[in-house]
Amino acid sequence: MGRTPYWNIDLGILIDLFALPMIVIFFYGMYGHWKRIRQGKVRVNLDLSKSAGKIGPVYLYSLLTKGILGTKIYKKIYTGVAHGGLFWGMVVLLLGTILVFLNVLFGLPVFSGGFNHWFMAFALDFAGLAVFGGILFFLVRRLLFPPERLTEPKSRTGFSPIVLLLGVVILTGFVVEGGRIACNGIDNGSFMGNYLSMMFGKGDEWLTLHRYMWWIHGFLALGFLAYIPYSPLVHLLLVPVNAALADPMPGTKMGLIDFSSFEDEESEEMPVLGAAKLADFSRKRLLDYSTCLWCGRCHEVCPAAQTGKPLSPKGVIITLAECLQDGRVEDDSLIDSLTSEALFCCTTCAACMEACPALINQPKTIMKFRQNLVMERSEIPELMGKANSSLELRGHPFFGTGAGPNDWCKDLDVPLFEEGKTEYLLWIGCSVTYEERAQQIAGSMVKILSHAGTSFGILEEFRCTGDPAKQMGNEFQFAELAQQNIEDFSDLGIKKIITMCPHCYNSFTRHYPKLGGNYQVIPHSVFLKSLLKAGRLSLNRETNTICYHDPCYLGRRNAIYDEPRDVVNSMGKLVEMPRNRNESFCCGGGGGNYWAEEVGTRINQVRAEEALGTGADFIATSCPFCLLMLTDGAKKFTEDQKIFDIAELVALQLEER
Amino acid sequence: MFGRNEAMRRSIRLKTGGYPMHIVVLAKVVPDYEVPAGDFELTNSRAHSRYKRMMGLYDENAIESGVQLKEKYSASLTIVSYGIKADIQVLRKAVAMGGEKLSLVLGGSDDPNVIAANLKMAVEKLEDVDLILAGQQSADMDRGIVHGMLAEMLGFAFIPQVAKIEQEDGQWKVIQNTESGSSELKFGGKAVLSITSVPENVPRIPVVRSIFAAKKKPVVQLPEIEGDAMPVDELSVDIPKMESVCEFLPTEDDPAETAKILLGRLREERLI
Amino acid sequence: MKTLIIEMIEPKRLGELVTVSREFCEQPDMVAVGAGQIPGSFGKAYQVADTVAANLVSDLASLILKEGYEIVLLTASTLGSGIAAPLSVKLSAPVVSEVIGIKPDLVVERPLYGGKAVATYKLNKMPAILTIRRKYFEAADLQGFTDSSPLSIAEKKVALIAEKEEKTEGIPLEDAEVIVSGGRGIGAAENFTMLQDVADLLNGAVGASRGAVDEGWVQPTQQVGQTGKIVAPGVYFAIGISGASQHLAGIANAKCVVAINKDEEANIFKRARFGIVSDYKKIVPVLIETLKEEA
Repeated sequence: MGRTPYWNIDLGILIDLFALPMIVIFFYGMYGHWKRIRQGKVRVNLDLSKSAGKIGPVYLYSLLTKGILGTKIYKKIYTGVAHGGLFWGMVVLLLGTILVFLNVLFGLPVFSGGFNHWFMAFALDFAGLAVFGGILFFLVRRLLFPPERLTEPKSRTGFSPIVLLLGVVILTGFVVEGGRIACNGIDNGSFMGNYLSMMFGKGDEWLTLHRYMWWIHGFLALGFLAYIPYSPLVHLLLVPVNAALADPMPGTKMGLIDFSSFEDEESEEMPVLGAAKLADFSRKRLLDYSTCLWCGRCHEVCPAAQTGKPLSPKGVIITLAECLQDGRVEDDSLIDSLTSEALFCCTTCAACMEACPALINQPKTIMKFRQNLVMERSEIPELMGKANSSLELRGHPFFGTGAGPNDWCKDLDVPLFEEGKTEYLLWIGCSVTYEERAQQIAGSMVKILSHAGTSFGILEEFRCTGDPAKQMGNEFQFAELAQQNIEDFSDLGIKKIITMCPHCYNSFTRHYPKLGGNYQVIPHSVFLKSLLKAGRLSLNRETNTICYHDPCYLGRRNAIYDEPRDVVNSMGKLVEMPRNRNESFCCGGGGGNYWAEEVGTRINQVRAEEALGTGADFIATSCPFCLLMLTDGAKKFTEDQKIFDIAELVALQLEER
Repeated sequence: MFGRNEAMRRSIRLKTGGYPMHIVVLAKVVPDYEVPAGDFELTNSRAHSRYKRMMGLYDENAIESGVQLKEKYSASLTIVSYGIKADIQVLRKAVAMGGEKLSLVLGGSDDPNVIAANLKMAVEKLEDVDLILAGQQSADMDRGIVHGMLAEMLGFAFIPQVAKIEQEDGQWKVIQNTESGSSELKFGGKAVLSITSVPENVPRIPVVRSIFAAKKKPVVQLPEIEGDAMPVDELSVDIPKMESVCEFLPTEDDPAETAKILLGRLREERLI
Repeated sequence: MKTLIIEMIEPKRLGELVTVSREFCEQPDMVAVGAGQIPGSFGKAYQVADTVAANLVSDLASLILKEGYEIVLLTASTLGSGIAAPLSVKLSAPVVSEVIGIKPDLVVERPLYGGKAVATYKLNKMPAILTIRRKYFEAADLQGFTDSSPLSIAEKKVALIAEKEEKTEGIPLEDAEVIVSGGRGIGAAENFTMLQDVADLLNGAVGASRGAVDEGWVQPTQQVGQTGKIVAPGVYFAIGISGASQHLAGIANAKCVVAINKDEEANIFKRARFGIVSDYKKIVPVLIETLKEEA
């Protein structure tokens, strides 16, 4: 038994003709998006275009997984399943519609045999049900029980009408099917249609109802499709594009600014540093803003937004999205409307970026604004300004420190790096030099490396890598410091560097190569792991429980999660906090916020409480800033010193024996 | 009412109507003033040469105040310093903050009389200077007298500890911090003001284009003139021994006794 | 040596200068700046109503020359620093500011490099002008009063429009010579009144560690430390403060730290000059009593 297309419908082919204007409306809408995005700057990053799995600017793997399969959505399982039902249901239904169309045009035999039974009948009914379930979930949640992330700082309008419209399309589809089956008899597999037909019973009025419903369903379906580019559902096209164009390297990259045109007497136009208005951003960023769904997953994980600070990554992106929608690309009051207070609250932890199912790079946008505030307008919170001045004057940001540059090693026998003789440079970094508590990390590391017989040395004089300046938006200061360091390293023939601070590691690996500094850089946690593996360190696994806090710049930004855990595991029993690995919660010290007068709840206290809540004997981390922030945060809850760098814990074990 | 000098008022009026006001800020490059006490060393009775050289903090406050005045009253701003050639690089920052040019007298004296005489020479070469700002004291010698001497040498009025400056009816109105609060002062003539640090004059980080522009701004280098040294001999400079060991006061007995001992010790050391 | 004191009528400041003057003479002369009766006994006393330094310099110079004064003493204050330097040029006299010690044979000491070093100078010419740093010399007890003759001012360069007393708002932390700071160990906001009492009695200011600010016991503007105020008092009372390095960074230039903490292991004792291992609630009230008795 087969199905006849356009059964009971006169001139049914007209619906296909009506599809044509709808397609025009659809593409006109998409063209509108392109026209808006095109107002951004064209930036092609040449050295990124060579990686494997990449065709032109398209990252194939990202496109497939994050873009089309939408793997990130399933982090929230209910929303994920509802979204999956809706999306994949619609894909199947669209496929069914295309098959019907092919049947009409070319007589493709889809309405016969097992295919008709399992696909055209059963699968399509099932898909319709999945879509309908998804719609119900979204409508109920959005209209009745919206979570904070959807409403803060404000909700997106326009979702409910189009979702409702789609619901009506699905319902009318079922009614048409039910009507057809009621008149033509049971269609095996079409369980929904069969069920409805039994409810309807058999009668001539169904012929009329079916006819009307068929046309209504058809027109609404076409209307729905044409409406997509004008509604939030446009994300179903923009997200895959955004995913395909987003660099899949973890964390955000800020690239470098070429300051040479400022030097050049001849150059007439000096570039705007950072961004103050939409036109200062690249097309990729404008695509970000167009793509944003306002889902608020970033808001929910943002340490600033969650502790009562004026910043919400969602707030920033939607402000930009609205500005873009209104065509205010040249409006440089944009940066003021976002407020510098809010923009400097970002700890650059990249949790927002990690959580974003639409592959938006929120930190980069925020950083671009910061660069503009600092380098074009001298606007910076007072303490960060002091840290910046200290970087400029003394090469380190720890203004008012009570420590001299050699205090950390005054009781230690530390070799200097000798060209041609020493293998590894042990890079000390600013916090470890100038912060009393952090100094102990270096002491521990020196003991460990001496014990293991590693060939290492330190610099006689050193300066900061420039990371704090970069994160505070002072790219210029960063470049100055980085260039000086690179010169020093070249003079000494340094090739391998061990870092104790993930911020230094991140600077060396991400930013120095572009300035001509290429080194093999090893974070101390990774180096400790390799020493353990090579049997040059042996630790006793004790009964202590140790909780590990992932530093943002080691974890989320560089995907180093396992090595520090392996080191921890070789000393005691590893326990995890509720938020761990790529979902780790920031200590609050990133992005220059170590030098901030925090408003609202202190981020370090929130994280320290979470860590102490595990009941672990020790809390380990592998970043001096995390160590300092968490040590400070824990004071609210306990008088015991529980927070240590993993190197300190390792050295402690070496000493005990 | 205050017996204002009419001639002075007229000169200010001319100024505002005619050519732009000219402000000079004095700046001195000093060794890092934040070197922690435990790390502080002397060579030849002066801070060790290994410390980075930078502008004094009060000097930066003065520059910031000067730049704000410049912006508010469309004045021109010159940075004047006495120091060595290598200081130019550091002083570029002052220019980047908002100065138009730099005038440096090359010399290495620490004598306040000599420095003041040389600054006077540099200021006189500039002609038509209306107002001179200086940090309340340099961050090395901490004397706070050179600017006052300069004022007298130039015949300008000297007002120390100034927190705020504005123009009113062709006169300058300044807020001066005093031990008990503040005074509001008004004057019509030329003056040297020593600037104290207040939240309103936190030094700005120069914007990048100013940093580059500062590299192209004119630098006038003047040879030192001979001045009469102040009739004072520096006999020695020493680093006082810092008592780093904590002296624990007895607490077993009467707390009142502990309190008395503590206050006694603090008075002994002239701390209260 | 014929010595002249130039100072406002403020017994403490005047008393300190009288103490210094005894290194040079039996009884100094005095120019009193501002209105009021002159406490203490001086050889000769002059009085000038104008309190603006810039207006006084010329006439003071004439007086000093006329009377042949050899030593001129002022306090290192707004008034003193406003007079001293211009006066030295007028008289071609040496000037040494912020003097903290007087030795025989016209040798004086003053701090350099933010107090990290102390220099010793010999004055080679008379008259010589000295500004004296506060609280380095015990204030002499000023008995009785001295009658004055007016000193007239020829030229008024600068007009005083208004004066504002800011006693009520307290001394800014950065300028305070005594700071009484509390930390998390203070336990409650109301206990900070005890600290305020000590500060008031010592003419100091109340500070706090970040912990106390976090708890909301004190204003963030009172926070001392790396993310708060960097202070340099003569005495810093750290009460119930453990002494995190961020806090210590803010008091790196404090001359004397007095730590009161019940935990003898507390890091603050490493930085302290005097330590009291005790519950502050036992010590501070008696400290207040003792100070009140002495006042």
